[in-house]
Amino acid sequence: MEDLDINEIDEKKLLKLSIDELTRLFAKNINEQTLKLIEGIEFLVDENFEKFIESMKYVIKTNTEVHIKKVFESKIFKSKLMFSKADRLKLFTKINDIKNIGEFLANKMLLYRVVFPDDTFKLQILDILKSLRLISTEISEAVNLIGSDLSKAYKVCENIKEERRSMRRKEWKLINRLYNYDMDYLSRTFLYLKELIETIMMLADHIKNFSEYIQFLSTKYLIFD
Amino acid sequence: MAAEFTLILVIVLIIMAISLAFSIGANDETLSALVGAGVLKFKIALIIGSVALGVGMILFSGGFVAKTVGADILGEGITYTTFMLLTVLISSILWLVIGSFAGIPLSSTHSLVGSIFGVIIVYALNQGGVNPDTALNWTKLGNIVLSWFLSPVFGFIVTFILFKLIAKLYLSRLKGLNQIERSERYFKWILLGAVIFAEIWVGANSGEALGILYGLFNSGSINLTQYFLFAVICGIFAGIGIYVAARYVIKNLASQMINTRPSEGIILQTSSAIILMIATIFGLPISHSHVIVFCIIGLSVAQKKEVDYKALGKMGVYWILTFPIAALLAGFIYYGFIYFGLP
Repeated sequence: MEDLDINEIDEKKLLKLSIDELTRLFAKNINEQTLKLIEGIEFLVDENFEKFIESMKYVIKTNTEVHIKKVFESKIFKSKLMFSKADRLKLFTKINDIKNIGEFLANKMLLYRVVFPDDTFKLQILDILKSLRLISTEISEAVNLIGSDLSKAYKVCENIKEERRSMRRKEWKLINRLYNYDMDYLSRTFLYLKELIETIMMLADHIKNFSEYIQFLSTKYLIFD
Repeated sequence: MAAEFTLILVIVLIIMAISLAFSIGANDETLSALVGAGVLKFKIALIIGSVALGVGMILFSGGFVAKTVGADILGEGITYTTFMLLTVLISSILWLVIGSFAGIPLSSTHSLVGSIFGVIIVYALNQGGVNPDTALNWTKLGNIVLSWFLSPVFGFIVTFILFKLIAKLYLSRLKGLNQIERSERYFKWILLGAVIFAEIWVGANSGEALGILYGLFNSGSINLTQYFLFAVICGIFAGIGIYVAARYVIKNLASQMINTRPSEGIILQTSSAIILMIATIFGLPISHSHVIVFCIIGLSVAQKKEVDYKALGKMGVYWILTFPIAALLAGFIYYGFIYFGLP
């Protein structure tokens, strides 16, 4: 499963995968797209608009996950594992929501070509993106661990929550900086940057909620003697 | 004329006993765990459950709970009259219907034994030469009442220990959801066995219908062959009750149990079946619903889950009240029969 490249998998191969393998493949695919989105925002910070547009369009246009989703849904519907069926389905939906928010962010960012106010602002937003990259990778890792080790998945989710807390502190610093710029003459820049920060945090919030759901699953399924 | 009237009454009683057997099946929700876990197709699960319940009822009709209700509970030299049995049936059914309309969960076993108590006491008080102190087999009655208190407690303890044991030896070693799902796949088939086992003992301990028939046999209204014939019919009707009527309750409960792991179902069904089996061997009619409620509480406590003690306390009050109210109700009805010269 680890070596599978989503772009090379046809539906026949997908059908052979188990529900857990499909979930992991889906999480891997969505994580790749989120990383591409983060990379795109970094290009924007560097004012490399060509690469930025390319990355955003990649996020919007890529729809390989649709095939996995289709196969997963057909498999879970027929699955006889009643007790974990609803949780498996919810898990999958939560991964899909990351993609939806990412796509929303990418579309929004293409509306205007922004120039960042100064280097400190750039550094601060890059710092937030670094955290987002970390929690995105960790949530994918947590999804991978659900099938094999729920305790480990729980711990990884604890790291995500901790990182998310530090992101919140960074967010307020950045928002504070943004509101103190004299940018009234450039209201579109203000609006764009404000929405960029808020949507990045929306994505982080969703990942945090998702990690809490994984922790809920761990406590639900693990039995301690 | 009197003989014809008695014959009609006996026929009515037999029909009522068979109907009671049907209602036992109709109210049986043992299959819910099996259906909820999706082990078998719904109709196949119903057929298996119906057969197991019927077989349990028929196999243990030769004595055990039926003999206790139909003969052993009575004092020496006392046998049921047809009006006594009619009163017992009317009273217990009436109290259960009142309970259903009021939304109170009641035990048919407690209701039946309470009604027998009321009828026999009124009979003894109104019949010259019968000492109320010896009209009932107080030792047997005491054992039955004691078993009503002990069976839920033992249900709780057995479930608690069984869960802790299985958790320590196996369940706590499962680390990931894949491993859990794989093991629960095997547990599903063990659950099938546990539910069949439980269903047999539910049938074996359901002495209400067979107790009435045994009472008719003990009083000489029907012979042994007729008793076994009607016992078989009762078993068949109990099974039909599951297939025709209980399917709605089972479907409803099963949909609420979808998240329940088959391993939990096995623990609950095995524990309640063990309690029912022991009670049946000792000829003690106990309430299956009381036992299963305490088994669920035992499992919840073992899993450190919250228990709604307020609702439990309310339920406990109704359980305790069932016996005296059924006894009073039966006493009044039977007194009415005596008043009109129908002892």
